[in-house]
Amino acid sequence: MRIVKLKQDRLNSFLEAVSTDSELWGPVKKGADKHRFKIVDNPAEFDLDYTRTILPPKKIFLPPRFNMFKAMPTAYEEETMDPTKKILFGVHPCDIHGILIMDQFYTQTYNDPYYIRSRENTIILGHSCWPDEHCLCHSTGTDVANEGYDLFFTALNDEYLVWIGSSKGDDLVRIVPELFNEDLSDRDIQNYIRWREDRSKAFKAEINFKAMPDFMELKYRDAVWENLSHACLACGSCSNVCPTCTCYNVNDKPRLSENASDIARCWDACTLESYSEVAGGENFRESRSERLKLYYTHKLQAFISKYGKPACVGCGRCAATCPVGINVKTVAGALDGEEVDAFWSRYATEVTK
Amino acid sequence: MNNGKPKIGIYELTGCAGDALLIVDCEMELLDIFTAADIQSFAMAKSDNIDGELDVALVEGSVTTEKEISELKDIRERAKIVVAFGNCAAHGGIQARFDDKEWQENLKKVYGNQKFTHTKPVRSKPIDEFVKVDFYLPGCPVSKEQFLHFLTRMLKGNPPEHYPTPVCVTCKYNENDCLLNNGKLCLGPLTADGCGSVCPNHNIPCFGCWGPVENANAIAELHLLKEKGFSVEEIKKRMANFAGTKLADAIKQL
Repeated sequence: MRIVKLKQDRLNSFLEAVSTDSELWGPVKKGADKHRFKIVDNPAEFDLDYTRTILPPKKIFLPPRFNMFKAMPTAYEEETMDPTKKILFGVHPCDIHGILIMDQFYTQTYNDPYYIRSRENTIILGHSCWPDEHCLCHSTGTDVANEGYDLFFTALNDEYLVWIGSSKGDDLVRIVPELFNEDLSDRDIQNYIRWREDRSKAFKAEINFKAMPDFMELKYRDAVWENLSHACLACGSCSNVCPTCTCYNVNDKPRLSENASDIARCWDACTLESYSEVAGGENFRESRSERLKLYYTHKLQAFISKYGKPACVGCGRCAATCPVGINVKTVAGALDGEEVDAFWSRYATEVTK
Repeated sequence: MNNGKPKIGIYELTGCAGDALLIVDCEMELLDIFTAADIQSFAMAKSDNIDGELDVALVEGSVTTEKEISELKDIRERAKIVVAFGNCAAHGGIQARFDDKEWQENLKKVYGNQKFTHTKPVRSKPIDEFVKVDFYLPGCPVSKEQFLHFLTRMLKGNPPEHYPTPVCVTCKYNENDCLLNNGKLCLGPLTADGCGSVCPNHNIPCFGCWGPVENANAIAELHLLKEKGFSVEEIKKRMANFAGTKLADAIKQL
């Protein structure tokens, strides 16, 4: 891996030069204080002073809804093997780890052609960040990315230290080598080390993720699950905003004027009641508490035993999204025996009164 | 069946006729609809209507008069499948938000001591209070996408799909910031999906016009909104607007 320097005021020239034949995606302001990844014509539209987007980058690889193929009585036609080349700029380390988890998931046993095709055509340009009160990536060990990007930009003073993570990334730098500076000084290195130390100290929320598989097992019948379920609105948002939620549903959409159907795919969420419903109307997880247990077993336990790391990258989206305060931070806190300040815990006290 | 085409009737009881209008508004698909189906009766779109045997009856509007009760029963007798088409037919619509006492008072307020000669008014109710309903397609009006998907499946002999998820699902697909988190009285989590989260897309909280989603956790949302400073009366009023007769009592007891 090579590290080069780029003056921050040259960033947009770089992005313009490398995106002439690609869609350029990155963080753009939405409303007063939220962000989303969006295609732009001009990199000046990016707002790099962001913490997290509402939806994670998974929406770029697999949109919430798309038609996979058209099915006819004896044949089928692919509809959306999306070959558009994309550059995704401004991805934070937690989201890079989320993409790595999706890479692993969608290529195990059966390759997901829609994900792989889209992913292979996307260049990932990471960007450094600063934590807010919801960021848990220090606890999940996803606050730094050592792989999963083509270039990674760390902002220091008026410059970027740019990590070259792949040959594709190296090719991008070689398009406009005159913008970069190869000579890293001792001072640059010292500045970076100090920045990393300061950033490590800036995390306000910590979770003992190592203990969670045990706690999930020990507390599988704990009252906490009923307490959470009183307040859960079963809206599915925790799954939709999670960078590592990969479940989807498939629907047949017959066409009115031909003997053919569009086979459509959409994001699904295990916290929705319909998720566990099977033919005949039977439902394996009718109660909200059963569904929440499934969600948190995936995040805090099952994924760890299979892959050695939690299926939580600490992005804090569930904490920023759930209207009743059910999120990795408060659930792990409650499992750890902490007093949790959230609507669900206040409401549980009222219900059990 | 006529030339192998399913016979369809589209009927309007009390409502704004927005659901029937939505069918007429399917301009790109109208030829396909009329090619695939034998539209026997559709007062908004044609005049040579026949009231005979039907494969499918789409019934819009709620029941508000005795005459409509007998019309509805007649439709039921003639049709193999009856569909509650739109929020008024499925839940009773806004006009069903009053209980018996309030309805009596309102009737008096509007009509005074006038004698009803043509037909007698009754408190607004969804159509399944009077006849068996085979399928429900709520909405105010129903969505074009859901309607066409529904109709196509019916015409191809497949059972229609069920939409059991709340507005929040599509709202998140559309990457909207949660309005509940912004202190708004949004009914997204309690409301059936299908509108494309059109109000939250414009930063307007969900009014619940699709009617309640199955097993909505209304009591938790009531407490959440209360904690955010809304009065219980205000929350219940908003919840009752489109929830219809079936939930009117439940909401009162929250």
